[in-house]
Amino acid sequence: MADPAVMGSASLNAGTRTGGTKATTSPAENYYLARRRTLQVVVSSLLTECGFESSEKAAVETLTEMMQSYITEVGRCAKANCEHTARSTPTLSDVVITLVEMGFNVDTLPVYAKRSQRMVITAPPVTNAPVTPKALVAGQKRTHPAYIPSHFPEFPDPHTYIKTPTFREPVSDYQVVREKAASQRRDVERALTRFMAKTGETQSLFKDDLTAFPLIAARPSSIPYLSALLPSELELQMLEETDSSEQDEQTDTENNSNIIHDDAGADKENTVLPPGGVVPTVKTNDDNMIDNPYLRPVKKPKVRRKK
Amino acid sequence: MNRKKDKGFESPRPYKLTHQVVCINNINFQRKSVIGYVELTIFPTVVNLNRIKLNSKQCRIYRVRVNDLEAPFIYNDPTLEVCHHEAKQRNLNYFSSAYTAAVSAVDPDTGNGELSIKVPSELWKQGDEMKVLKVYIEFSLDQPKGGLHFVVPDVEGSLAERGAHVFSFGYQNSTRFWFPCVDSFSELCTWKLEFTVDAAMVAVSCGDLVETIYTHDMRKKTFHYMLPIPTAAPNISLAVGPFEILVDPYMHEVTHFCLPQLLPLLKHTMSYLHEVFEFYEEILTCRYPYSCFKTVFVDEAYVQVASYASMSIFSTNLLHSGLIIDQTPATRRYLAQALAQQFFGCFISRMSWSDEWVLKGISGYIYGLYLKKTFGVNEYRHWIKQELDKIVEYELKTGGVLLHPTFTGGKEKDNPTPHLHFSIRNPHTLSWEYYKMFQCKAHLVMRLIENRISMEFMLQVFNKLLSLASTASSQKYQSHMWSQMLLSTSGFLKSISNVSGKDIGPLIKQWVDQSGVVKFFGSFAFNRKRNVLELEIRQDCTSSGTQKYVGPIKVTVQELDGSFNHTLQIEENSLKHDIPCHSKSRRNKKKKIPLMNGEEVDMDLSAMDADSPLLWIRIDPDMSILRKVEFEQADFMWQYQLRYERDVVAQEEAISALEVFPTAASRLALTDILEQDQCFYRVRMQACFCLAKIANAMVSTWTGPPAMKSLFTRMFCCKSCPNIVKTNNFINFQSYFLQKTMPVAMALLRDIHNLCPKEVLNFILDLIKYNDNRKNKFSDNYYRAELIDALTNSLTPAISVNNEVRTVESLSADVRLVLEEVTRFLNMEKLLPSYRNTITVSCLRAIRMLQKNGHLPSDPSLFKSYAEYGHFVDVRIAALEAVVDYTRVDRSSDELQWLLDMVHTDPVHYVRHKILSMLSKNPPFTKAAESCLCNEALVDQLWKLMNSGTSHDWRLRCDAVNLYHTLFGLSRPSCLPLPELGLVLNLKEKKAVLNPTIKPEQDASVPEPPPELVFVSCKEEPFQMKEELVLSGVALAPQGLKRKADTPLASPPEPGQVLQEETVFKGPVKSRFPTQEEEDIDMDTVHDSQAFIYHHLNMLERPSTPGREPPVVEQQAVMPTPAPPAPPFVKESSAPSRHVGVHQHHHRHHHEHKKKKKKHKHKHKHKHKHESKGKERDKDRDPHVFGSSPARSPSLSD
Repeated sequence: MADPAVMGSASLNAGTRTGGTKATTSPAENYYLARRRTLQVVVSSLLTECGFESSEKAAVETLTEMMQSYITEVGRCAKANCEHTARSTPTLSDVVITLVEMGFNVDTLPVYAKRSQRMVITAPPVTNAPVTPKALVAGQKRTHPAYIPSHFPEFPDPHTYIKTPTFREPVSDYQVVREKAASQRRDVERALTRFMAKTGETQSLFKDDLTAFPLIAARPSSIPYLSALLPSELELQMLEETDSSEQDEQTDTENNSNIIHDDAGADKENTVLPPGGVVPTVKTNDDNMIDNPYLRPVKKPKVRRKK
Repeated sequence: MNRKKDKGFESPRPYKLTHQVVCINNINFQRKSVIGYVELTIFPTVVNLNRIKLNSKQCRIYRVRVNDLEAPFIYNDPTLEVCHHEAKQRNLNYFSSAYTAAVSAVDPDTGNGELSIKVPSELWKQGDEMKVLKVYIEFSLDQPKGGLHFVVPDVEGSLAERGAHVFSFGYQNSTRFWFPCVDSFSELCTWKLEFTVDAAMVAVSCGDLVETIYTHDMRKKTFHYMLPIPTAAPNISLAVGPFEILVDPYMHEVTHFCLPQLLPLLKHTMSYLHEVFEFYEEILTCRYPYSCFKTVFVDEAYVQVASYASMSIFSTNLLHSGLIIDQTPATRRYLAQALAQQFFGCFISRMSWSDEWVLKGISGYIYGLYLKKTFGVNEYRHWIKQELDKIVEYELKTGGVLLHPTFTGGKEKDNPTPHLHFSIRNPHTLSWEYYKMFQCKAHLVMRLIENRISMEFMLQVFNKLLSLASTASSQKYQSHMWSQMLLSTSGFLKSISNVSGKDIGPLIKQWVDQSGVVKFFGSFAFNRKRNVLELEIRQDCTSSGTQKYVGPIKVTVQELDGSFNHTLQIEENSLKHDIPCHSKSRRNKKKKIPLMNGEEVDMDLSAMDADSPLLWIRIDPDMSILRKVEFEQADFMWQYQLRYERDVVAQEEAISALEVFPTAASRLALTDILEQDQCFYRVRMQACFCLAKIANAMVSTWTGPPAMKSLFTRMFCCKSCPNIVKTNNFINFQSYFLQKTMPVAMALLRDIHNLCPKEVLNFILDLIKYNDNRKNKFSDNYYRAELIDALTNSLTPAISVNNEVRTVESLSADVRLVLEEVTRFLNMEKLLPSYRNTITVSCLRAIRMLQKNGHLPSDPSLFKSYAEYGHFVDVRIAALEAVVDYTRVDRSSDELQWLLDMVHTDPVHYVRHKILSMLSKNPPFTKAAESCLCNEALVDQLWKLMNSGTSHDWRLRCDAVNLYHTLFGLSRPSCLPLPELGLVLNLKEKKAVLNPTIKPEQDASVPEPPPELVFVSCKEEPFQMKEELVLSGVALAPQGLKRKADTPLASPPEPGQVLQEETVFKGPVKSRFPTQEEEDIDMDTVHDSQAFIYHHLNMLERPSTPGREPPVVEQQAVMPTPAPPAPPFVKESSAPSRHVGVHQHHHRHHHEHKKKKKKHKHKHKHKHKHESKGKERDKDRDPHVFGSSPARSPSLSD
């Protein structure tokens, strides 16, 4: 009962099943599995021919792998031979040379093929050949000009080498632009506030319909003046965009006050500066110390003071 | 004149303070408590200085030592509870006089104080030699309700990270709330200030920071300040917090402080201050008097700006970034104000309360000069006009603001301002609004003086005052010189006459010594034959708040040939003035017309009266009289004035006059002004509103698009698509302000159905829709807020079908659109808050307006949630305003209750103040109208609020008084049941009349009923003053009483109380006092209220700060030191007399004078003692009575 073929087909069935389930995923995979299964069947039948009653699955696998490698190598070499002679399709002689080069005695092949105990293997279950996914075709492909032989590869899709208009003509009408910008912003704002209102606590203006005109609930903050006084990120960003030169100036003065120190004599004069007079940046260069009592270091306690 | 002729300052105290040390060595933010001590160095100026009175409120005092000797002390603060006991008295007249008495009783300007320290007898000798005394007082403050304000945000992190801070605040002299001192502007001394604070914090205070030293554990540091310039205690302040420090880049001795994270704003806001400094120093030709200056920006500030010696405390909400337009001028104004007050107010202090106007006047005046220089003459004149209009309106409404009250002899009868429901004797009894108007009038009067003596002299006077003061300030320990730093009215006037040589007596008499403004009515006729303008100027000097003006008045007449000034003399009887005209009325010759400023313009004269050469006439164009002018001239004259007069004040006057001339010509004149960009922007803004009014009046004949629409389109909309507004560019502020205002004014337009035209509404909605600020250098938050205001203005009452509940379905389409915008804005504000949440504020107003007009169901809950603590203060105020409005409209007692609870509990003083003042402005009911809200419980609650609930904040108490006045008037609220003493028997006329206290007020100024009345008691209750009252019961009635009337009171009692008593006992008439025992005993005058007695009686019970040795103190309070003789009053012992109580109150004071009166009624002494003790016991049994006293509250002593 331990018929390897049965076994093989059993494993094959199992394979089909698993393969089948997988087959749904991709035709290429499906095809690969079918080929592999056929090879397994071949190996199993060869084993049976040689008198094996059963074999370990791993052994079959190994043999299948070997067989596949061999066939692949034959194909690869044959193709190399054929290309070597500037052809595109291998011929029998290519294969023969390949086999010869691989050390196979070609003369034994007809005999082996006609051996009596040869088992005939049924054709592998029909699987749809892998469909190469259709490449997206965009636009009309250009035909070859006259001076290019027709066997040369076709031109690729036009979008790969020419400028394609992927957007519409920009609307230049001022009114429409403003209109759009306004409604877009309004839509965004409305959607955002609605979302916030939906997800958070709300207050309502009507007692009967709590959902009409929802208001995001007022939530007290512990330091209310911060959000009320500090400009929002957005505004700061805008400020930067609109006037970056001014911003630079600001950082300049900032540095001055923090780093630059003037001595006491200098600051007495500062109060009598003419109106709109010297900008602090000028003084920056003096590299003096500002003598402000609040900037002085804190002293260490010296003696224990009596209260 | 009553003014003191000698300018020398006479201290009301028997000693001179020279130096004071304030050391606060622990500030606990969690418990909101402060521990410290003060040490006052004083020089006695009398031989036997045995008692030192100091000011101290709510401080718990642990010990007092004088020159290292323990000194007993008494603490008595009569202002904690103004009227004692649950008296049935509820009339405001009574309260006001009692309150004035209480405030005067502790007024440092009369040498009084809450804290009375007995100098140990060992030192009396020393006093003979006039040695220096050092008074050392240890004190603590626990959860202070006034004086110091703690802001401790409830978030994670250390105190410094949370931005916890504390600062001092107060209205006028309120330093006594946070440390014991002589809380007077006239007692100057040098200062040493020490504050130990957390190492992460900074303590900012007055004077120079000498050094900062770590404590031994290195966890705290001590800031040592020295203030060598003599300064009054009310000018001392403190701010402690984790401040960010910014040294002014232009002036290194100026340091700015703000709360964490706000440094960039601080830098921007302060980048400007040096210009203000330069300006003042230049015009005053005087250096800034202090060696340093500090500005601190704090949250939850009491006022926007408070000035103290060498530092100012500002509200943090004044900070702004460079993106903000509207706040910038406002903040700069505050900065300038603060700095002006540094010179006059802090450095130069006032001699007495009645000299306050000089300081406020000068600082306001130089601030005005600054405005003129910085913001331009137009802005300055506009401001002067605004201030003038304000003061005129206020004075006409309330009856006058008196700048320099003189109190002769301190009699209540001489009340200089009987029209007011409060006393102006003391700053602490003034209503806040009055005080603001007072300041306003003061600087206007300074300007009048300037007009009289020229600005140059004016500045010389200031310079002189300042240099005198700075010379005096540098005199060390020569404290008598320091009085040069005090400014008095007479000193100021003397300087003026010395410098200018001019007599400004009449001017001062008119505007300073007298209250009221002038009300002119002017009209004219042109006499063609004589070519004379007949001008008639009448005055209303009878209605309240007015006074008669006699003197010169300037009239400017614009004729065809030019502008001519005429000075007319207003005299007693001359109403008509003939002014000869210069030009003939010939108009065939086309010629340019010269204006006042020399400009010559072409005018279209077709509108003119052919016979008259007059274009327009102005009365008092320079505003050199505090007046209101109602002048009649033809509409075309106003139009000419608007178009061609270059003075902004004239233009504004013309605009307001044109409101009553809705004609096409007015429309054209206003439109032309609107379009003219050389025209002052405020005039153009005003023209918008006038145009809206005119358009509404002309609605049936109006042609063309709605007013201002095409104008707005032309100015601010795109050329190609006129319905879309340009993207915002606010670089031109004038047009920015116009762009903001026009939609607001347009929304006031109404069609024939009195609805806002659809076209206008859509226009505003489009403005909102197309508003695009991406390319703008400035924030558009104010602009958007005004657009919402415009939507609010467009609302009209809903057509309501028999009062059904408002539902979503019932919303009209227009309102739905409005509501959608409002909700979207309000929601967006949560995600992207605008500066000062201006948009939320406008949205809340809009929602309230929707409710009020019946589009939304009226519901305060939304506003209540926005009014909670934790929202930005502007938002809270707007929400509270809506709740106040709701309270009035819906007569909701719940909301009123909620508001009043908030007045009690809210942590922010400013909010409490605003609630009360908004309630007074928009009262839920008034005394005139019946209301279900007006009930006894409310009266009790408000009474309690002003009586004891607001003792920690003078301003709030005065607000409460104001509210009470608005709601109930001066007399007993009508909703109260009749007092027990319903009937009063007039013995003279032999008939019973209704108790005058019950009657509705007839004469507000006379609270006491005529003295000849006798109460007929309906019940016995009013007399249940029980035995305890009969403390010093003495001898028999008739003689005794008579005697009492003559006997000068034993001690010099508090002046306020003297007043009371004098009125009470003035009448020597005898009357009867029917009681069970003695039905027919003659009595002296009878006072109208038993509560009055309670009041005085209970002065005794006022809580005293328990001293270190309680028994001693207790003893003092009750029965001070050696055998006090009974007060020398005669009294029937059992008669339920009111007078007993009256005198009882002085009981304590008498012991001080015990020696002087020996032989009085010893037999009653024991009884007296006994009773007092009994009372003391009562007090202990009933501790909740004193619950409000901070002195008694649990403290940190353990």
